[in-house]
Amino acid sequence: MNQFDKDDVLAQEALLAQTKPAVGRRDVLKSVVAGAALMAVGAPSVLAQGKTLRFLNAEPGRDSVRALRVAAAEYEKKFGVKVVIDTVPPDDAYNKIQSSIAAGTPYDVGTLAFAGHVLLLAQAGKLVPLTKLVQRHKWGPNVLFPIKDENYWYPYDYNFCWMYYRKDLYQQKGLKVPTTWDQMAENCKALTEGGKFGVGHPVGANAAAQWMSLGYMWADGVRLLDNNFKLIVDNAEMKPKVTRYLDFMKKMGPSMPSGMTQALFGTVLGQYSGGQIAHAPYAGRLIEVIEDKAPDLVAKTGFFMYPDSAGSGQAVNHGYDGWVVLNTPMRDESLKFMEWFVDNHYINFLHSAPLHMQPPRMDVYDDIRWRAHPLIEKHAELVDFMKSMLTRKDVAIRSIDTEGPGVDLRPGKMFETFAICDAIQNVLYKGMPPAEAVDIMAAKYRTVL
Amino acid sequence: MLSFRTNSDKFLLGAFIASVAITLLLILFPVVHAIQLSFYQSESFVSERTWIGAGNYLRVLQESGFWRAFGIGVTFSVLTIVLQVALGIGCALLLDQPFFGRPVIRGLAVLPYLLPTVVVAVAFQWLLDGSLGLFTIWAEELGLGRPAWFEDPVMAMVVVVIASVWTWTPFVTISFLAALQTIPKSLYEAARVDGAGSWNRFWHVTIPMLVPMLMVIVLLRSIWMFNKFDIIWLMTKGGPLSATEHLPVMAYRRAFMQYDVGGGAAVATLSFAVLSLLILVYFYFYPLDGKEGNK
Repeated sequence: MNQFDKDDVLAQEALLAQTKPAVGRRDVLKSVVAGAALMAVGAPSVLAQGKTLRFLNAEPGRDSVRALRVAAAEYEKKFGVKVVIDTVPPDDAYNKIQSSIAAGTPYDVGTLAFAGHVLLLAQAGKLVPLTKLVQRHKWGPNVLFPIKDENYWYPYDYNFCWMYYRKDLYQQKGLKVPTTWDQMAENCKALTEGGKFGVGHPVGANAAAQWMSLGYMWADGVRLLDNNFKLIVDNAEMKPKVTRYLDFMKKMGPSMPSGMTQALFGTVLGQYSGGQIAHAPYAGRLIEVIEDKAPDLVAKTGFFMYPDSAGSGQAVNHGYDGWVVLNTPMRDESLKFMEWFVDNHYINFLHSAPLHMQPPRMDVYDDIRWRAHPLIEKHAELVDFMKSMLTRKDVAIRSIDTEGPGVDLRPGKMFETFAICDAIQNVLYKGMPPAEAVDIMAAKYRTVL
Repeated sequence: MLSFRTNSDKFLLGAFIASVAITLLLILFPVVHAIQLSFYQSESFVSERTWIGAGNYLRVLQESGFWRAFGIGVTFSVLTIVLQVALGIGCALLLDQPFFGRPVIRGLAVLPYLLPTVVVAVAFQWLLDGSLGLFTIWAEELGLGRPAWFEDPVMAMVVVVIASVWTWTPFVTISFLAALQTIPKSLYEAARVDGAGSWNRFWHVTIPMLVPMLMVIVLLRSIWMFNKFDIIWLMTKGGPLSATEHLPVMAYRRAFMQYDVGGGAAVATLSFAVLSLLILVYFYFYPLDGKEGNK
């Protein structure tokens, strides 16, 4: 008799079929047993046949989509489970997830960029906890947003916003990196001439303005909500600070190009990489862009955090992104996929925007696989600067949608009123006294609290 | 009496009923669902809702922002309709005249209407960009400085009105051009025989003959412009300082951005009610069958 692999049940069956042409009851029973054995021992891919996971991605960059597709293809090859990647712009992700649930065809895994969305979906029973998976690592501050001691999302990046500046122009003008608002305004003024501008801060009623223009305010210790989610932006302590911030923005106004109410993230990138502005607020993506589009600027670019008014504090504006697993019939498979994905492809995914996707997992900073990326190696100074935001005690990490003592929908509602953007516009374009603009801002915030 | 004896007749009847049913379903279901949502307090489309009756309506109607958005919607509609009708009639009269290359010019005149709104919005944004915009640079070269196209509330409204008029005037032009071609030439001949000059022929022959079309155009454009969301959202997002935030933008913001699904639905329903009322009043005074209204 031929020697078979003991697990090669199908081959044994084939040989039996050749040597015993007549099919008897015993043969049928053997086949059934063989089939059952095959199911039991053998192949997860056979077990999983026909299963499909739907993953809603909100990182539309080409490399990010590719990283996810490679992971999906590998997962399918390994486990026989198809992973379909749908990609939408970040702003559309939450509505798309809601629509998919309402339509009865929910995504199994989704990307979200606001903790309030996670809260809403978790409260509605649409998410499954990822606590065990999350607890396997040490995380940076202000990124997990637990809900009743459970973690419902797996963060994959911080989107902190800080300031970039032109080192060569600073040298030409004999300027120093600003540590106060006055110095910042003076530097911007000194660099505004001949169609070039000191800085580009978006001031429209949009997320770009709230991400790129408020850091100074956070550095000065402004808080919008107290520990009971009560609005305090216009109380005796905060109002003078916000007023001072609006005064500062007014001072910066002449150093900015026109059309900043229409400016979005890409506008500022274009202004800086095109040499139109000498300071630009952004995260690591700015370096990635100038490496690609304006390499001559790379060596001329420096960075610092948003200074405060007095030179004693600094801040970055907060941002974050993460994945959630939805409570679908595929939830167990989704959890299995997530576990496999974060073990095997998390770093590959971060590498799809190597400097922009700042890791929230502290172990990643010491992971030689992550550090091996050419841009991360080249910009080690920037990477150390980015990591320092997570470890230094004197750095304020703030944003409107993360105001208050914990995750809550109220700051998210405040974010979407864009009342602070209105206040900046009122001061810059209508000449309104800052104190009055603060009152209007506070009134608008109260309408949603 | 109608009879449906052949298979073909029965098929046509079935197809007609099915199409009507599908259309009603597609129109009625979202409308009824939106109205239903407006009576609930809900922070998302998937969370549990709480019945609050007219609470959303009372809250919304008490807000100054609602009435401001309503006024902005009326202003936007009136300005765009008046300009579209005036320019549309003017262009139609010009294109109705015989001249060399008329078919080509007629074709070109329709072009803006064929462009997707997003293309129009992006094109205008680029032309008016504060740093690189062609119009901005021209204005600067003419010594006008860099106009605050999107920073100034009045200017922003002017910009969205101009973009809207540029895009949708061709529809009005085509409609009036078609109407002009239905006016019997004998009427002009008779007027000429009676000694009417060109102005009198226009005023006493052309305009009265265009009135039915004018009524339809004003009705349709009123509905469309009052509900116009895309051009404003794409160009200004309702800004600056809510200067271009009309009811559709307000409803969208509330429902999809501010986690107030019921409030957003209430704004949309009120907008729907206002428009329905306006249309009923319109039909009362100007019935489309041409009969005298109940004036």
